[in-house]
Amino acid sequence: MAKNHNGAVGTYILIVLILGVVTYMEFAIVEYPQAWLGQTMTLVVLAALSVLKFLLVVMFFMHLKGDDRMYSGFFSSGMVIALATFIAMTAMFILPRTMAYGEARARAESIEGGGAAHGEAHVPPEVEELITTDGRSRSAAERADVPAPTDRSVPIEAPQAANDASTYEVEGAAGPAQTPTPAGAEQAAGAGVAGEETAAEAAAEGGAGATPETEAEGELQAEPEAAEAEETAADDAEEVGAGEAAADWDRALGAQVYNANCVGCHQAAGQGIPGAFPPLAGHAADVYAAGGQEYLPQVLLFGLTGAIQVEGMTYNGFMPAWAQLSDDEIANVLNHVIAELGDAPSGFVPFTADDVAAHRDDGLAAGDVHSIRAELGLD
Amino acid sequence: MSSAADVAAHTHPLTQDQPGLPGSRGAITAHGWRSTRLPDVKLLMWVFLASDCMMFGALIGTYLAYHNRSLVPPYPIDVFDIPLTTVSSFVLLVSSFLMVLALHSLRIDDIPRFRLWTFGVALFGSIFLGFQVYEFVHFVNAGLSIHHSLFGTTFFILTGTHGIHVAVGVLWLLGFLVQSYVRPTSSKDAVYLEIAGLYWHFVDIVWIVIFTVVYLVEFV
Repeated sequence: MAKNHNGAVGTYILIVLILGVVTYMEFAIVEYPQAWLGQTMTLVVLAALSVLKFLLVVMFFMHLKGDDRMYSGFFSSGMVIALATFIAMTAMFILPRTMAYGEARARAESIEGGGAAHGEAHVPPEVEELITTDGRSRSAAERADVPAPTDRSVPIEAPQAANDASTYEVEGAAGPAQTPTPAGAEQAAGAGVAGEETAAEAAAEGGAGATPETEAEGELQAEPEAAEAEETAADDAEEVGAGEAAADWDRALGAQVYNANCVGCHQAAGQGIPGAFPPLAGHAADVYAAGGQEYLPQVLLFGLTGAIQVEGMTYNGFMPAWAQLSDDEIANVLNHVIAELGDAPSGFVPFTADDVAAHRDDGLAAGDVHSIRAELGLD
Repeated sequence: MSSAADVAAHTHPLTQDQPGLPGSRGAITAHGWRSTRLPDVKLLMWVFLASDCMMFGALIGTYLAYHNRSLVPPYPIDVFDIPLTTVSSFVLLVSSFLMVLALHSLRIDDIPRFRLWTFGVALFGSIFLGFQVYEFVHFVNAGLSIHHSLFGTTFFILTGTHGIHVAVGVLWLLGFLVQSYVRPTSSKDAVYLEIAGLYWHFVDIVWIVIFTVVYLVEFV
């Protein structure tokens, strides 16, 4: 009998030593990463060691090994249900979101990366679908039932193109530069009068036309001179009263700020994630049209918390404050969200850095912004 | 073994799981046969542990479902301290080891050692709780409270629930210890210490899972 007991104690000592060694191995694997193991294998090894410890304790410390099978039966039934719940949650909740989030994040980073991303940040259709559908594999017909994301989404190329800092000036500039006409400025004024072309195009033509250089130099110099010409063109347009002031902001900056900070939640085309993150495409324009000229900068500066209704769906989440962004960045990302991701409402006057700066010292809490929103009567 | 022959004659073979334990209340009581031929308290404890499994499964699942969804720092990787958590995991493992020693001592009526090991379990359980309190205070100082972010909410609810389990276990074992001074305790009471031990080991295996799934995987 005594020998039997000593044997039992010997087993306990052996088990606790194994448990200690295994715990140290887990610690070592994480603390001193093994490059040759690879991330997936590291996870597999950690899971296996964890299961080993689990089984050792259950079998030898809890004596389930050799004990009545009814105990094992009850316990494993609980384990099975717990595991099934766990796996179901993983399948439904974690995998799609992680993948969509990862893709969106990767895109944002590649775009944020600057020059290298120009033209290379093309998103393959399957990835785009993953983002817009939140990773759930739904048929096209089913997707059509979901109103907000599909109806409002704009082609993914739009923010891509706008992100290229030189795209819209250069495209406008390159044309006239090849066939230089000294009457560029007159053309710009003429365009304003005609009211057919946007101020940006007119400005770009004017800028390029005024500097009939070689193509390369034209690209370099187009920007500042375009800005000057833009002013004149805008003035002209204003005088005539027919101009549509839809281009008076830094589109490249707006897209860059959006892709770096907002896509993670509100998604690439501003369609949001139904039930989790509200759509911006279209909705921001509605807010603007409803008199949100003061409210919109406040959301960015102070955040927003509390239940809101967007397109028939309730969102009770939390929008963080983005006060760390500059006035210029906030103004341009607002313009991007309103007029690029959605259609600019009539009478839309792009935000300027001054519009944002005027609210920076409002000292609101996220809940106060919610009250301001309620006064707009959107919900 | 022969000393238990009279018991064995009336006992289902499966209940003879603990050799040389006349105190095992496996099958026969003054009230006759039980349909399960098993001690009710032990069976109930296993059923409870099965249900507790589901609860922790749901809590860990929730933690993972909201993993990487927090909008504001601090994020797990900013605040977790793996060496510290490894030490506290060791502490809990050792307490589990002392638990089996305590049960073993009680079964052979070695009361002084039973008291020593039981006190050891409660002590190591308290040390683990101390680590957890330290960790919680550190996290709160780092700006992570239970209502701060999804990470804060799910993390504190999961580890807090586990911590409450540990605290209940410590109190239970201390109660056992006090009782051994108040009234005679012998191997006949082993089944009650055994279910306390089952509970304690279960708390240990839950931590084994949390340690890997919540803490270690974060750094892979």
